Amino acid sequence: MRDGVVLLKALLLSTSQRNIYRHTTDGRKQRRIIANAVGFAFLYVMIMAYCVTMCVGYGIIGMAEAVPALCALTLCALAFVFTLFKTNGYLFNFKEYDALMSLPFEPSTVAGCKFLYMYVKSLPWYASISLSMMVGYAIFARPPVVAYLAWVVLSLFLPVVPMLAASLIGLLIAKLSAGFKKTNIVQTLLMFVFVLAFFALRFVMDDLFRNNKTELVLEQMSAMTADAARSYPPAGWFADAIAKGSVPGALLLVGVSVALFAIVFRIVGQSYRSINSALRSHAAKGRYRMTAQRRRSVMGAIAFKELKRMTGSSVYMVNGAMGEVLAVFLGVGTLVIGFDRIVATVTQGAPIDAAILRPAIPLIVYFLIGMVATTTCSPSLEGKNYWILQSLPIEMKTVYQGKMLFNLCLSVPFMVFATLCLCVSARVPVLDTGLYLLLGLALCAFSTAWGCVCGIRHMRLDWENEVEVIKQGAAVVVYLFPNMFVTMGLTVLVVVLGMHIDGRLVALVLTLLATALAVISYVWVVRMAQRGSSLEGQGDAKGTASQVAKP
Amino acid sequence: MGNRAMLDIRHYSKSYGAGKKAADDVTLSVMSGDIYGFIGHNGAGKSTTIRAVVGVLDFTDGEILIDGHSVKDEPMACKRVTAYIPDNPDLYENLTGIQYLNFVADVFGLGSAEREQGIRHYADLFEITDDLGDLIGAYSHGMRQKLAIISALIHDPKLLVLDEPFVGLDPKATFTLKEVMREMCARGAAVFFSTHVLDVAEKLCNKVAIIKQGRIIASGTMEELTEGHSLEETFLEETFLEADGDA
Repeated sequence: MRDGVVLLKALLLSTSQRNIYRHTTDGRKQRRIIANAVGFAFLYVMIMAYCVTMCVGYGIIGMAEAVPALCALTLCALAFVFTLFKTNGYLFNFKEYDALMSLPFEPSTVAGCKFLYMYVKSLPWYASISLSMMVGYAIFARPPVVAYLAWVVLSLFLPVVPMLAASLIGLLIAKLSAGFKKTNIVQTLLMFVFVLAFFALRFVMDDLFRNNKTELVLEQMSAMTADAARSYPPAGWFADAIAKGSVPGALLLVGVSVALFAIVFRIVGQSYRSINSALRSHAAKGRYRMTAQRRRSVMGAIAFKELKRMTGSSVYMVNGAMGEVLAVFLGVGTLVIGFDRIVATVTQGAPIDAAILRPAIPLIVYFLIGMVATTTCSPSLEGKNYWILQSLPIEMKTVYQGKMLFNLCLSVPFMVFATLCLCVSARVPVLDTGLYLLLGLALCAFSTAWGCVCGIRHMRLDWENEVEVIKQGAAVVVYLFPNMFVTMGLTVLVVVLGMHIDGRLVALVLTLLATALAVISYVWVVRMAQRGSSLEGQGDAKGTASQVAKP
Repeated sequence: MGNRAMLDIRHYSKSYGAGKKAADDVTLSVMSGDIYGFIGHNGAGKSTTIRAVVGVLDFTDGEILIDGHSVKDEPMACKRVTAYIPDNPDLYENLTGIQYLNFVADVFGLGSAEREQGIRHYADLFEITDDLGDLIGAYSHGMRQKLAIISALIHDPKLLVLDEPFVGLDPKATFTLKEVMREMCARGAAVFFSTHVLDVAEKLCNKVAIIKQGRIIASGTMEELTEGHSLEETFLEETFLEADGDA
């Protein structure tokens, strides 16, 4: 127990921005930490405002009693997905494995502490969602004081079971891939399969619930939440504890979470050493024969390096290419099932003519393709290798151009494929298809360049684990959420505008707008690179100052 | 030979927070044909100086010129003629050795035949050719060091800067590297490297500078500096004398 506390404390301290702030003498680093904290605070406020608004909406339509179950389901789904993406890198195959395992810790202690570390690091996100939903619930339900206390305490336990489930899947993936020669490829593929299965499950459940013949959409939503809470007992226990003051529900949630934690880490601990050993050993072939070498342009060389960086890391691959994989599924799915049927499924049979959604096709595709731009994290991913770029005769502008080229090479083909599939299925005229492709290109260019702006402005080279910059980096967060919300808003706007004015005009205006934004972002990148390319103010990969450009 | 400054450090200073000076008014010149050793205790300021020379670290005062170009004002011109090998080369682990060498060759604009010849020559010399198809992540420390050395040599730099180059190298590779350094200097290039191994410095270098607490306390040709004593004796004497002087 004491070992666990010591280790957990050390793990948390090793990545604590507060600790870095307190002990660094580098003013720029301190300012960057403050700026990141302000940025995250803004994001928390946005998320909390969104949650409160959603709960108020539930309250207004008389469904306040569904809020606790909704909160539980939201937290659990988020905890599951976030953890699944992070197990490889945090729980398995992490950098300091050798150092930790050489110390007198039980494997189960190391694994358990790594899990708790993931939990504590994610807790502020879960807490912000939970507390804001509690406020929304309180406005309408006016529960007794004890319910607030129960809400706060029990919501701390809610993420545990889904995180354990995701960890077990992570263990399974690690165990399966450890048996293969190309562990990384197998791990990436398995991760894709599980994430896609999770997304698919949501639609299957949706379909199952809709078969309950619920007449009204609002009632259907309520029924769905209740059904989901029944299907997933911890959500039901939480809802019962809050709404009905059920003590057994509360005890079950706490007891099951703690018991499962103990059991899972007993299981994980048993094969922890062998799995990590297999994942971390690389068998060298040592049979290379020199052949003719191919020459590339400098930009091409950097783009190729980016490709190898991505394919060499399952965490990077799954996060960076998930949008592209989903776009392929959407494209193929639409061709097979039909655009009209998919629209009918998503709109739950509402009397909407699928044709009015055609102008939104490029935005729907962009929602997936532009979800994550590799340019957001690739500057930070240089990490300790940054000395290579610094000491080579490459302008920083060229480095970023190479990184942007790679993101375009990754996103554009998938965008073209998905857009064409949707257009063919929706029987979009050729001219409109061309316009949609043009808009898609402009959006990809914007996503690439804007992602790079975020990546440079929030560059962080002193990370210990790549997950810190791929999943939790300020650059990724600052890019992802506004981009997602704006795309959703634009999708609605385009549909509404398309009903009143020519859809082609709307597409053209959006193309021009996206192009202008892409150009502005690109110029911004070049300027930051030029300011960073002089040695004055340039960072040092060994941690004295990890900011390249002075934004 | 020996009449053109390949590296000219003039009154270079580097401060970290709270006014602590990692390098204080460092001045030295490395001429073409020189093998220049840079010695000092741990934390004396060797790596800080070297990282400023190769453009990895910015600096507050002074000027550093490489082949007549200012590191501050013309970093690209300086980097085109320089090669750097850090003490602990963190290389791109997801690239294979050959991919990394091609990456560096692309950056320096080497043609296909030229790079193939260079890679083949140095990879054979350091006995790493068979391993070039493997991921760098699978390399030992010594192999990474060899790969970093090869990447530094294939573009035929005028100035080779190395930070503790012999750490982690096997005896054969150490011997090869020393030979390569001598050949480079015979062709008119210059080598500037830091080391703790005083025996190696004494046998290899024609010039040496001793740095202590960020300041150069002695520099010159090996003969001038040692005056018939061993470099180890001279180093200890100089550093102790300084310590006595400080006291």
